[in-house]
Amino acid sequence: MTHTFKGGVHPNYMKAPEIPMTVMTPPPQVVIPMIQHIGAPNKPLVQKGDYVTMGQKIGESPAPVSAPVHASVSGKVVAVEPRPHPLGDMILSVVIENDYKDTPCTDLAPLTEEQLKDSDAILERIREAGVVGMGGAMFPTAFKIRGGIGKVDKLIINGAECEPYLNGDHLTMLNYPEQLLKGIELVRIASCLDKCYYGIEKNKQDAIDLLNSLHPEKYGIEIVPEEIKYPQGAEKMQVKAVTGREVKPGGIPSGVGANVVSTRTCYAIYQACYEGKPVIERIVTVAGSAMKAPTNILTRVGTPFEYIAEQCGGFVKTPRKIVLGGPMMGICATSLEAPNIKGTAGVLFFTEEEDRHEDEPTCIRCGKCITVCPMNLEPVFMYMYYSKGDFENMAKYHITDCFECGSCAFNCPARMPLTHAFKTAKLMFQAKAAKEKAKAEAEAARKEVKV
Amino acid sequence: MAVNQKERIVFDVAYQPQVRTDVNTGRLMGRVICALLPAVAVSVWQFGLQALLLIAVSVASAVFFEWAYRKLLKKSATIGDCSAAVTGLLLAMTMPPTAPLWLPVIGTFFGIVVVKQLYGGIGKNFLNPALAARAFLLASYAMALGQFALPRSLQGVVDGISAATPLSYLYSGEPMPAYYTLRSMMLGMRPGALGEISALALLIGGIYLVVSKVISWRIPVSFIGTVALLTLIFGHEGYSNVDFMLLNLCSGGLFLAAIFMATDYATSPVTLNGQLLYGFGCGVITVLIRYFGGYPEGVTYAILLMNLCTWAIDKAFHRHQFGVSKEDIAAEKAAKKAAKEAAK
Repeated sequence: MTHTFKGGVHPNYMKAPEIPMTVMTPPPQVVIPMIQHIGAPNKPLVQKGDYVTMGQKIGESPAPVSAPVHASVSGKVVAVEPRPHPLGDMILSVVIENDYKDTPCTDLAPLTEEQLKDSDAILERIREAGVVGMGGAMFPTAFKIRGGIGKVDKLIINGAECEPYLNGDHLTMLNYPEQLLKGIELVRIASCLDKCYYGIEKNKQDAIDLLNSLHPEKYGIEIVPEEIKYPQGAEKMQVKAVTGREVKPGGIPSGVGANVVSTRTCYAIYQACYEGKPVIERIVTVAGSAMKAPTNILTRVGTPFEYIAEQCGGFVKTPRKIVLGGPMMGICATSLEAPNIKGTAGVLFFTEEEDRHEDEPTCIRCGKCITVCPMNLEPVFMYMYYSKGDFENMAKYHITDCFECGSCAFNCPARMPLTHAFKTAKLMFQAKAAKEKAKAEAEAARKEVKV
Repeated sequence: MAVNQKERIVFDVAYQPQVRTDVNTGRLMGRVICALLPAVAVSVWQFGLQALLLIAVSVASAVFFEWAYRKLLKKSATIGDCSAAVTGLLLAMTMPPTAPLWLPVIGTFFGIVVVKQLYGGIGKNFLNPALAARAFLLASYAMALGQFALPRSLQGVVDGISAATPLSYLYSGEPMPAYYTLRSMMLGMRPGALGEISALALLIGGIYLVVSKVISWRIPVSFIGTVALLTLIFGHEGYSNVDFMLLNLCSGGLFLAAIFMATDYATSPVTLNGQLLYGFGCGVITVLIRYFGGYPEGVTYAILLMNLCTWAIDKAFHRHQFGVSKEDIAAEKAAKKAAKEAAK
C-alpha cells in the first residue's frame, strides 16, 4: 500500500541535499523580533545597554499561546525598537551587537533521566526553549501537544519536506539521525503515547534507510515512506497518508485524533531537553536564480537576509523576490534588512527566470485545477464566483476549506491567480463574519437596554 | 554584484505559489496539434497535396479571423495561444478531400468569429467552434461535403472517382464491399473526411494526449465505450454483433470526435464524474442518430447537443470536499428531510 492522498502536483523539486550543511559565521548584529510564533506577542525582558548571553531569554508573554524568544548571540543590546519583520510590517525587536564570544547562558540545564520520561517536564522545557512549529507554521509546540493529550492516538512526525528547494529536514535526518530519533521519542513521551509514525517522502530514501538502520522501533517510531507529491507535507495530507483519516472541513488534525509535528521541531526539542539549548539557530536553504548555487546553511535566528545572501556568495543577478520558505506556500519579504526567524526554512532569491505570469490571464476551463486539488474543491468555479463577488455560491463551493497549498495555481496553464483569489475571499468571509457578529451583539445590547 | 549596494531594490510581493508549471495554454494547444500530425500524414498519403492545401487554408483563415477580430475590436492578441490554429486544423479534418478551398474559409469565419469570439474568446464559447462550423457548413453546403474522393489505395480497385463511405453502407444496411476491412479502416485506406480515415493514427494521437496529460481518459473512453456497448447489444441485420460494433467504431469520425472534439476544454464538463456522463451522453446520441437519424454520421450533433448540457452537468456533479464522509452526507440528507417535514 502506498501512503499518499488524492490530487497534488509534481513541481520541479530543485533540491540539493548533496550540498553539505555549512555553519554560517554569525552576523555582527542580530535582530530578534518579539513575534516568531502564532499567538500573543512577547514583551522584551531586556533594555538598551544590557549585556545578554547566548541563549538568554529576552522576550516572553504570559499568554498560553505564545513562545519566548532567546538571544542567538552574546553581546550588548543596542536597540529595542520596531524593525522590519520578514512577514511584513514593523515589529518590536531586540537588536544585539555580537561580541563574537558566544558566552553561553546556563539558565536551561539538560533535563535529568527522570525528567526525560515525564510528559510535564518535557512540555515545560519545550515551552521554555521557545519551540514552535519549525516547518513554517510557527504554532507553539508545547500548546499543541498538551492540547492533544488524551484526544490524540496517532502522533505523526512530518518528514515529507514536499516544498521544492528546501533540504533542511533531509539534512537533519542525515546529519543527526540519532538525536532526531531521540527528539521524536520525547514528543511521543510528551504526548503520552506508545507509538508514533514518521512520514518521509521516498525522495529521501537514503535518510529512510539510515533511520531504519538505527532501530526506530526502540524509540517507539515507525517510519512510513510516502509517495513523492506536493503537498504531502500539509498536515491534513500527512494525516490522510499515514492513518487514512480525513480531517473534517474546518477542523484540525486533533479532531480526528492525530497530531503532526515537523522534523526540525523534533530536533529542536532534542536540543532543548538533552542539551539545554533554546531555539536560536536553524538550517536554511538559500537558493534561487539570483544566487550562483544553492546553499544549505546553519544560521542564527535573527540574521538579516542581506547578511545571509552575502555569506552565500552574493547575488549574481538582481533579485526580484525574496521568498521565505518554499516556493509553493512561501510568502514574499519586502526588505533585505528583515531577519530570518524560527520558521524560516528557506530564503529564495528569485529573478524574472522563475516568474511565469500572464498579463491577461484567461481561464480556458481545462479543469486541471480540479484534478489536483487535495481538498477535493473545484477552483475553476470558486474563482468564477469570486470574480462575481457571489458569496452564496463561494460558500457553496467551500472556498473557506482551501488551505492555500497553491497546487491549482501552480498547475494552471492560463496562469490564473487562483490561490491569491481564494486567500482574498477567505479574508472577505472573515470580515463579513466579524461584521455580522458585531451587528448581532449591538442588537442584543439594544434589546437588553429596552428590557 | 555586492549585496550591500547603495540603491534600494524594490521587491515584488506576489502571492503564492511563486513557481508555476511550464505547461501553458499555448503548449497545451501545441500538443493537440502534434497529436493530430499522424492523422494529417495519413490524409496527405491518401489524398495528396489537395489535403495539405485544405488544411493550410483552414488553419491560416482561422488564425487570420482570430487576429483580425481582436485587432479590429482593440482586444489583446490571442493567436499566440494556438487555439485558433487548433480550430482551423480540426475543421479541415472533418472535410472531404474534394471540398472547395473557400469552404473552410467560410467555416472558420463562423467558428472563430460567431461561435468563439462573439462570446468572449477562448474559454467562454459554449459550443465547440470547429463542430459548430461543420454543422453550419453541413446545413448550408451539404453537396460540397457529401462527395468522397477515392483514396490512393483504392484507385484502380474501385471504378469512378468517388465512393460511398463505410458508414453509409452501415447506415443503409447494405453489405460492405470486400475492400473495406478492419485493417483498411485502421490504416486509412478508405474514403472519408481528411482526418477520420485512419482510426489507428487518431488512436496514437489520443494516447499521446492522455499520456501528456492534455486531456483525461474519461470523455474519450466513456464516449467510445458507450458506442461500442450499444452497437454490440443491438447489432444490425446482416452483420455479426461484434463485427458491427468494430465497424461502427472505425468507420466514421468517432475517434476524431471522441478524442479531439468532445474533449474541447471550454465546452466539456470539468467535473470528473460529469465527464463520464458527458461521454456517455455523446455515445448514446451518436448511436441514436446512426440508427434512426437522417444522417449516416451522428457525432457532430451528438457533441453539439451535449455541449449545451455541459453547464448543467457540472452543476449536478459538484463534489463534496475533503473530510466529508459518506455518513456525513447521509446525516446531512436526513437533516434536510427532517427540516422539510417539520416545515410541513
